[in-house]
Amino acid sequence: MLKMTGINKVFRTDTVQTHALRDFSLHVEEGEFVTITGPSGCGKTTFLNLAGLLETYTSGQYLLDGEDVSSLSDAQRARLRNQKIGFIFQSFNLMPDLNLFDNVDVPLRYRGVSAKIRKERIEQALAAVGLANRQRHLPSQLSGGQQQRVAIARALVGEPRFLLADEPTGNLDSNTAEGVMELLEQINQQGTTIIMVTHDPSLAARSQRNVHILDGQIKSDDRNSKARAA
Amino acid sequence: MELGPITRALLRNKLGVILIALQIAFTMTVIVNAVYIINDRAANMARPSGLDEANTFHISSIGYGNSFNESVVVDEDLNMIRQLPGVIDATVTNAIPVSGSGSSSGYGLEPGRRDTLVPAAIYRVDEHVLEAMDLDLVAGVPFTAQQIVRRTPTEERQVTETILSQAMAESLYPDDWRQALNQNIYGPDGSALRVVGIVDRLQAPWPTFTYVENSMLTPEITLDNSTTYLVRTEPGYRDELMVEVEERLATAPHQRILRNNQSLEYTRTESYRIDSLMTTILKVVIGTLMFITAMGIVGLAVFSINRRRKQIGTRRALGATRFSILRYFMTENLIISAAGVTLGAIMTVGFNMFLVQTFNMPRIDWFYAPIGMLALLLLGQLAVIGPARSAAAITPALATRSV
Repeated sequence: MLKMTGINKVFRTDTVQTHALRDFSLHVEEGEFVTITGPSGCGKTTFLNLAGLLETYTSGQYLLDGEDVSSLSDAQRARLRNQKIGFIFQSFNLMPDLNLFDNVDVPLRYRGVSAKIRKERIEQALAAVGLANRQRHLPSQLSGGQQQRVAIARALVGEPRFLLADEPTGNLDSNTAEGVMELLEQINQQGTTIIMVTHDPSLAARSQRNVHILDGQIKSDDRNSKARAA
Repeated sequence: MELGPITRALLRNKLGVILIALQIAFTMTVIVNAVYIINDRAANMARPSGLDEANTFHISSIGYGNSFNESVVVDEDLNMIRQLPGVIDATVTNAIPVSGSGSSSGYGLEPGRRDTLVPAAIYRVDEHVLEAMDLDLVAGVPFTAQQIVRRTPTEERQVTETILSQAMAESLYPDDWRQALNQNIYGPDGSALRVVGIVDRLQAPWPTFTYVENSMLTPEITLDNSTTYLVRTEPGYRDELMVEVEERLATAPHQRILRNNQSLEYTRTESYRIDSLMTTILKVVIGTLMFITAMGIVGLAVFSINRRRKQIGTRRALGATRFSILRYFMTENLIISAAGVTLGAIMTVGFNMFLVQTFNMPRIDWFYAPIGMLALLLLGQLAVIGPARSAAAITPALATRSV
């Protein structure tokens, strides 16, 4: 599903060269729930950006669903993001001027789905996260947990091959975070691959697999047999 | 297209949108009316006087002293001028077309009916007028030398013939202007003039005169010590003949002064100077307003994009291509501009009605508003394309950054 081999990512300025990822190799199988942990600045977000085709890498090979993404154009990468990847962000990244329906509609519009099918899918996605009756509300009218649920609905509505979650509970209180985590686990059990970046060791412990990054390299890659498999 | 979501999002940020839409509406109102006024003035300025303006000049001779015999001087002057190489012909005249100065009267078909008089400019000229003014006689005959009446201003009118412009003939005989030929027409005092000829076009001296195309030629020389000669030359001779004629008139042994030695082109330029100035001012106003409006659109777009950088990055992360982002902001501008030009169309018509009622200006042609709407929509799209391109260049990685 996701196979990175010898990936390097170097940020360059006129005077400084920073290796964000060094010889980074990771293979994620379909249906896995992988957490990525590590201290600040270790390269977690860089990995997430590369995995989500938000940035290009300096060298190495990245196969997404068996397709080498290195030679894709910007538009092709955008299309691949839209069709195969769902994003969940730490600060939800909802459009404040759009109601929930329109927010969840955003990725579908870029896919060219008909209005009728979009409507069905959006209603299903919002129902799946328990917000079916709040379609016309604005994000500002919701709690943080509810907003993250909307973001999850938006990530799921396009039926992606995998979800990339960047600290999805980072801005939530523990009770709300637990609810969001349960929702993600539920989604994973339904077959969606999830890669989640987190600082929280307790959340990492709940995943099937935890990859720990340090200084741009994988320090450990542990599988947790106690976690619920998809 | 995302018309629905974009419109709903705009409605939640009304202030900036309303201000820009109002600016577009105001700009359209002013621009469309200004363009119409410019075109109207340009059409007025482009109207032909009927004369060969490029090759015609005029000069005035004002006699003084007891020994000045105008009747003799006029004959001497005209003989001299007409014999100069390069001169096609010359005539005396009391007025110069498009000069802004002349005399007018009213003529009708029934004696004593002052209420049916048609206003017209009166040119008092001699039998050389058709050649000198390069007028096309479309009916009748020219004046003869025997018909020319010389009189002082206080003498009773003795003129009995006239040549009309075709427009004047049409005013008198709307069904068939040719019927005017050989008919008598009557002035305010009941005196009759027989129409011996009709020329296709001869404008009155006053460009803003409602009946500017209504003119009459009468065969007379008014002896009031002030004479204007109108001279038509072969192409390319005008400027040198202006100098030569003035020199020869000046060296003739007569007590007089010469003035207003001007080409007809210069006379036209002077007459329309206010119109030209107004046209220039209106063009500056149009350019300034369009620039300000374009800058307003750019400003709103840049502000809006800077405010939504993370949203744009998120859209890119969710699958928007650069073109999708470009199209988003172009569409957003199109919606704002559409609201502005719709309001602008209403304001344009309203403002024009105000101008028509208050300043008696012409009613705007129907197609000006839609053309103005398209122009402002295009201006909006051109103005927003730069900011939209910069928005499209925002990296999707911005979605994961804490900005």
